[in-house]
Amino acid sequence: MKNCLHCEKNLEENQQDFCCNGCQCAYKIIKENNFDSYYDSRIINPKESSLKPDLESELDILEFISINSNNEFQIDLMIQGLHCGACVWLIENLLKKQDNVIDARINLSQKTLRIKWLKNKEIGNDLIKLISQIGYKLLPADQEVLNKIEAKFDNKIFKSLAVAGFGAGNIMLFSFALWFDTNFEISGSTRKLLHLSSSIIALPVLIYSGRIFFVSAFNSLKAGLPNMDVPISIAIFLASIVSLIQTFRGGQNVYFDSAVMLVFFLLIGRYLDFKARKKAFNVASEFSIFQAGFGRIESAEKIRVLPIKELRENMILIVAVGEKIACDGVVLEGLSAVDNSLISGESTPEKIQKNSLVYSGSINLNSPIKVKITKTFQNGILSQIISLIENIENKKNIYIRIADQFSKYYTPIVHALALVTFTIWYFYFNSNWEIALMNATAVLIITCPCALALAIPIAQTIAISNFLKKGIIMKNGESLEKINNIEYVIFDKTGSITIGKPILKNIYEIKGNNIEELNSEDAKFYLKIATSMAKFSKHPISQSLCNSFDGELEGVKVEEYNGEGLEAFFGEKKARLGSANFCDIYNKKPQDFIANSQSNSLANLRCYMNFDDKNIIFTFCDELKSDAKIVVDFLKKINKKVILLSGDIESEVKRIAEITGIEEFYWQKNPLEKAQFLQKISDKKINFMMIGDGLNDAPSLALSNVSVSFSKAVDISQNIADIIINSSKLSPIISIFSYSKTTLKIMKQNLILALIYNIFALPFAMAGYVVPLIAAIAMSSSSLFVTINSLRLNSKKNKNI
Amino acid sequence: MNVLLFLIPITLALGLCGLAGFLWAVKNKQYEDLDGASNRILFEDTLKK
Repeated sequence: MKNCLHCEKNLEENQQDFCCNGCQCAYKIIKENNFDSYYDSRIINPKESSLKPDLESELDILEFISINSNNEFQIDLMIQGLHCGACVWLIENLLKKQDNVIDARINLSQKTLRIKWLKNKEIGNDLIKLISQIGYKLLPADQEVLNKIEAKFDNKIFKSLAVAGFGAGNIMLFSFALWFDTNFEISGSTRKLLHLSSSIIALPVLIYSGRIFFVSAFNSLKAGLPNMDVPISIAIFLASIVSLIQTFRGGQNVYFDSAVMLVFFLLIGRYLDFKARKKAFNVASEFSIFQAGFGRIESAEKIRVLPIKELRENMILIVAVGEKIACDGVVLEGLSAVDNSLISGESTPEKIQKNSLVYSGSINLNSPIKVKITKTFQNGILSQIISLIENIENKKNIYIRIADQFSKYYTPIVHALALVTFTIWYFYFNSNWEIALMNATAVLIITCPCALALAIPIAQTIAISNFLKKGIIMKNGESLEKINNIEYVIFDKTGSITIGKPILKNIYEIKGNNIEELNSEDAKFYLKIATSMAKFSKHPISQSLCNSFDGELEGVKVEEYNGEGLEAFFGEKKARLGSANFCDIYNKKPQDFIANSQSNSLANLRCYMNFDDKNIIFTFCDELKSDAKIVVDFLKKINKKVILLSGDIESEVKRIAEITGIEEFYWQKNPLEKAQFLQKISDKKINFMMIGDGLNDAPSLALSNVSVSFSKAVDISQNIADIIINSSKLSPIISIFSYSKTTLKIMKQNLILALIYNIFALPFAMAGYVVPLIAAIAMSSSSLFVTINSLRLNSKKNKNI
Repeated sequence: MNVLLFLIPITLALGLCGLAGFLWAVKNKQYEDLDGASNRILFEDTLKK
């Protein structure tokens, strides 16, 4: 089969080279500019990211252009569809080739594009059009989100790490000489010089790089929950003071090198943790920006695109087919249907016409509509839910991470031991206070949870990045640990455990008072007739018909009666497809057919066809995700209680529960009831995981210990969820549970390893045998050990998630 | 051992030069987009207008 030259989609038989005009046009642009090599060097998977240009939507980005001091115009855009370096090359060079463009630069990690140009503002729109024409989707970046990223993920840790690395490396120059001077052959003055040089490096480095720990320790003490940074800070502080005193008094041993190395190792752990979080945050914010965020507004002559926050009451919003409605409002023009499943959890589309109320988050299905905004985003239905969520988030139990749980016991013990060491040396052995203090400091240095603070972030980073490769975005490391305490797993129905789209189930014919299922030959014939018409409609039922028919269709001219159905002529024969009324099926009420049929639970959704005096019923149901049963079975096997919590009607919920084998299920729960239900579980101190995608699930997601959502879910749910699954499949849940378990196991092993090492090293430190050389060896070897152990998470056996 | 009096400041100065260079690179956002950088190295030379 041939592929489209531009987007590489499979071509249908009557097509040559291109699948659509858009692709042909894109190919022409690239060819004309001599960028053909792009096609050779790119790596593209048309199933993952479509490059199909969208010629209809034209962005107006004038509002977002800023002017800098050199009179250059500049805009930041989010870009979607980048799949490899070739895309970066193409876009940047295509833009740079345009007149007046000074610079175009893509940030591949952040998926942003910054363009700078001269002369006039309006050029910006043309540049963006050019890039849209070759198939990449662009949207003005939400400056607030970008700022948030910048504020949250500045380079502080990175720079601190670099400075600590510099310090640790350079201080070795002096320490090396001192370490091997076991017979004290270096003269006193030279020793003093070397110590002094060490302190010149160490003190600024410790103050600069160590401040991350000092600040964190101080904050945790203020909050009354001392964390791991407290003993670290005390150890660094004491080591510096003692070493400084020793330097000036011409003492034998200083611990500057240990302190700097400690900070360096600890910062490696911090940095890894930071990088993993930043990556997850980038992916998540990319989703949320492309999810909603913008609305098309009709003004004097043209259409403007505004971010959701800028939308005001009485503006007229234009919603294309398949688009999400940005704000609550009243329909001014157009007949269509909206899919409310994300909000109410109901799978049946709701018909809308002039004066119908629509809510933000619904998806417009049939034909374009114009909506007059009645409530700004901040005041709309969403805001009520958001405030509900904020309330919940504040009340949520604070989870104490495994490392902090450990340090809760560890810290006092270590400090007590240091004190004991000091006391014994000072009072029992009657040594002077310097030696006593030095040995106490050695205890703190050797027991400093360096291996610990390094091992957990490494295990976490590896786990999170392996999850990311599998399309599971874990937004924080905490969830990794929390998953292992989960007892209940609670599913939402529509869109979570089911696909959320109707699937053709059966085809019946009405004969007198009864309905009969058609034999496969007839069924195929009528399905073909129906699909030939349905091809022209975007209603979910039509699309489901199209998906279930595979074969050649009849070419007919179809007329669409908005909100009612479709009509076409096959030769002389008239065919109508749509509601019962539209198809003139008055004589029977649908319920009777259902009652008569054997499978009475399936026909929630149906559509009728009248053709050649025959009345046909197509029944649809919201099909389970193909892996739903496997996931439920897996969860039961690992002793989790599975609950189905839905806003849908009883029969549907019951049917799904029966097929999957979920014993506990609840139906017709509104968002508040769902949240109340979960609150009760939470009050019983039971940890639970919620899996949901809709707005109606958002409060529940906020309430749960670990929440999972899907990349197709509403943006609020994605913002709240701890874990986002980047597909509509359920089976990643299995990976989430099993791989988190492995990760936790490795983390615990690391803790035990670190503890064993401490138990061994401690007596030596207390006895005063730990000279700087021993401290350095012990510290690096134990760190290396736990690091290697953490790397086992990458092994084939463990990675096979 | 008097040589140390020269060598130590020189070492420190050289080290600091390296550190300053690195911090300069961070400030110039050369570490902002490591994914992009690893791809850019394979690009053809930039085309002229």
